Amino acid sequence: MKDNLIAVVRSLIFVGLALILCALVFQFAGYNALTMLWAVADGAFLRSGAIEQSLRWALPLFITAVGVGISFRAGFFNIGAQGQFYVGAICAAFAAEAFKGGPAFLVIPALLISGMLGGALWALWPGLLRLRSGTDEVITTLMGNFMAGLLLVYVTSGPLKDPSGSGQQASSRPLDAAYRISDSLGLSPTIIAIAVAVGVLMWLLVNRTAFGVLASLAGRNGTMVEWQGARLWKLGLSSFLISGALAGLAGTIEFMGPNGRIASGFLPAHGFTAILIALVANLSVVGTAAAAVFFGGLASAALYLPIMAGLPAAAIDIINAAIALFITARSKLVDKVLRLGGRPS
Amino acid sequence: MSNPPKPALECRDVTVKFGDVTALSDVAVSFAPGQIHAVVGQNGAGKTTFARVAAGLVQPTAGAVDVMGEEIRTGHVNQSRAAGVELVHQSFALPPSFTVAETMEFGATGKGGVYSRRGLSEKWRSHLASLDVQVDLNTRIRDLPIETQQGIEIARALVMDARVLILDEPTAVLSPTGIDMLFARVRRLKERGVTVILILHKIREVLGIADTVTVLRGGRKVEGPLPIAEVSAERLANLIVGDAIAKTLDRHERDALVGTKSPVGEGAGHPETAHGPSVLSMKSVSTRPDSEGTALDGVDLDIRPGEIVGIAGVEGNGQKTLVRAISALADLASGSIRLAGHDVTGEPLGARRAIGLRIIPFERNVEGLSLTSSLWQNWSARELLQGSLLRVIRPATVREACDRSLREWSVHYHNSAQKAGSLSGGNAQKVILAREVDRGARLIIAAQPTRGLDIGATAFVWQALRQARDRGVAILLISSDLDELFDISDRVVVMLSGRVNGEFRAPFDIASVGAAMTDAAARKSA
Repeated sequence: MKDNLIAVVRSLIFVGLALILCALVFQFAGYNALTMLWAVADGAFLRSGAIEQSLRWALPLFITAVGVGISFRAGFFNIGAQGQFYVGAICAAFAAEAFKGGPAFLVIPALLISGMLGGALWALWPGLLRLRSGTDEVITTLMGNFMAGLLLVYVTSGPLKDPSGSGQQASSRPLDAAYRISDSLGLSPTIIAIAVAVGVLMWLLVNRTAFGVLASLAGRNGTMVEWQGARLWKLGLSSFLISGALAGLAGTIEFMGPNGRIASGFLPAHGFTAILIALVANLSVVGTAAAAVFFGGLASAALYLPIMAGLPAAAIDIINAAIALFITARSKLVDKVLRLGGRPS
Repeated sequence: MSNPPKPALECRDVTVKFGDVTALSDVAVSFAPGQIHAVVGQNGAGKTTFARVAAGLVQPTAGAVDVMGEEIRTGHVNQSRAAGVELVHQSFALPPSFTVAETMEFGATGKGGVYSRRGLSEKWRSHLASLDVQVDLNTRIRDLPIETQQGIEIARALVMDARVLILDEPTAVLSPTGIDMLFARVRRLKERGVTVILILHKIREVLGIADTVTVLRGGRKVEGPLPIAEVSAERLANLIVGDAIAKTLDRHERDALVGTKSPVGEGAGHPETAHGPSVLSMKSVSTRPDSEGTALDGVDLDIRPGEIVGIAGVEGNGQKTLVRAISALADLASGSIRLAGHDVTGEPLGARRAIGLRIIPFERNVEGLSLTSSLWQNWSARELLQGSLLRVIRPATVREACDRSLREWSVHYHNSAQKAGSLSGGNAQKVILAREVDRGARLIIAAQPTRGLDIGATAFVWQALRQARDRGVAILLISSDLDELFDISDRVVVMLSGRVNGEFRAPFDIASVGAAMTDAAARKSA
């Protein structure tokens, strides 16, 4: 319990430090730092309707980030969430064409499942390459992101092309309204239910099954688990597939919910923000929920800043980047300060 | 007033702290020149730290070091070397792909320039010959036997005209014949006027070579340097172990722990021979060569219930591969393995564990425990793997079971959520014992189970293995410590170059076991 508390405090300190760094950047760039941070807070959470908008972004991010956390826990650095997110959405879009006209209560689950299978597929090959020939999964999943991005360009300007499109951005034909799971605002009981179900199931998997304990041991010391007789590839590949499936699910939700179609290059930062969320949350499921709300708020503020406050949306990119900087650097200093309060045994 | 010769090396009230841990505490000792001095103590007594302070590798928290009467700046290797102090480490660090001549040139001087093979060989031949290292200077280090590698390490240390040579546990990796060769070499160094300090932990060896002995215990100097003529093996044993613990050990056990006896071994004192069908039966097992160690070459091995079979051999002669082969972690080229009546030749480790294989692996902190995971996760891994991965567990229940088990094995810990890396070596090994020595065990592989442990923990591990043996478990003990093997094994099998090169029953004869550990090598080089 104490370790958990320390992890939370540590993450908060990192985020706080990142915000201070951002304030300095804003100030030097010629803005009033306080105005800027206040506008961000306002756009994310404070103004009326902000919470709903933040949740709209937070829920898909949460689903992807939980998956990222599961593969990281098992020691597999799947940074291909973005590609898996795209491929999931693409598969769901193809399935929507195939099942067109079917009853919604069958088609909707079928699309969700297709999306998960698509995401899992995009995690399968880097997983197999890593386990069969030791290919570094960081490289393969990263490349997989670019491949999926190009695949998205191809399907939206080829097989799934919307002929009535404006031509500015290639996109697919819109999904039948009957199969949409939310309107364009993007928050609906269905999406909330899916996110809650994912959260509960994954919490149980991580904290209440043999798989959860063994995967976490394997992530910290694979050799030890091998000497215990575990088949490392089983733990690793299933973690990889779960993480891909969840990213694919998030892509499908964006497709069936707020977007209603897939467009080339849509939400290009989703997967990377999810990785950041998982790291800030120290890979815990509950922490991921909290971090997802925070980063969902930032995503929502990014839309608000230029329109409502006349401030550059790049402020949010700077905040994200600063947090990434501090979280990945894992400052020893912060650990030391935390230990002064009470040495963890 | 007569002027006694200045001590070759003197430590004045040296204290070394690593964080909260005091490794050395006010150690004051002075070594006379031109003699062979032994420094002894159990694991964790501070011997290696002492050597590293003298060599300038560790900066003491307090205290000073004098060489030949001159104070040197502590914590600076170059200062110590300039003063003539050289240290040969416990595990050698020779570059395996270099030839002997290259190793001598680049390891010793570190100067740049243009070289020719022939030139280098010419340059170093006489130096090596003068130290009686018989070797072709164009051989690569990795192809040399360990005794020769050690000779080269020593030769390298003596390039710079060393006056004080410190050897840290030089005998740990050697066969009995190798130890004799080393001692002959050390005596020749003494004739040349070099002061030699040997870090040792076997009394037998101390009495065989040293002029004086200094005993460390728990980071403090207990006694010394005592002239060797004035100490008996009995007294030395008690100094090393400490009176408090000495009382709790039986004499036989204590002698094995400190290596007092000379031709060791009434053996385990296990009266009846083990009976019943073999628990482990390996038939002409050979493994495919891999990068992890010497491949097995037609190994036959049988272990019956209630029998401890010790594997002796110089390190690197296939012991690791043997453990990996039984654990399904090495590929067999031919042969078969039966375990508890089942043919497990093609079966994975999980299946073998399910029928009673248990492993205390070589690398406690890598293969045995996940140091950054909690104790209860480490402890429960074996059980969690026996069943569906998706079955639901309650951590609270698992932790209670873990607590019960760890208490039973008298592990000292705060709570089961604590990281395994926070335990001392002895306690960490007990966690592994608690996991591996359970009711379902039929064959326990104990690979170097006491390496790095202090005397109390070592005795505990031996006791645990004996008790398991008495319950009818078959035990395979791999150790490079012959005293340990002779003390608790019912049978000792010697491995050499991946083969079984001899099998012995108690009472063991150190000379014949030692010969089996090296004889093929001797034949090859002859």
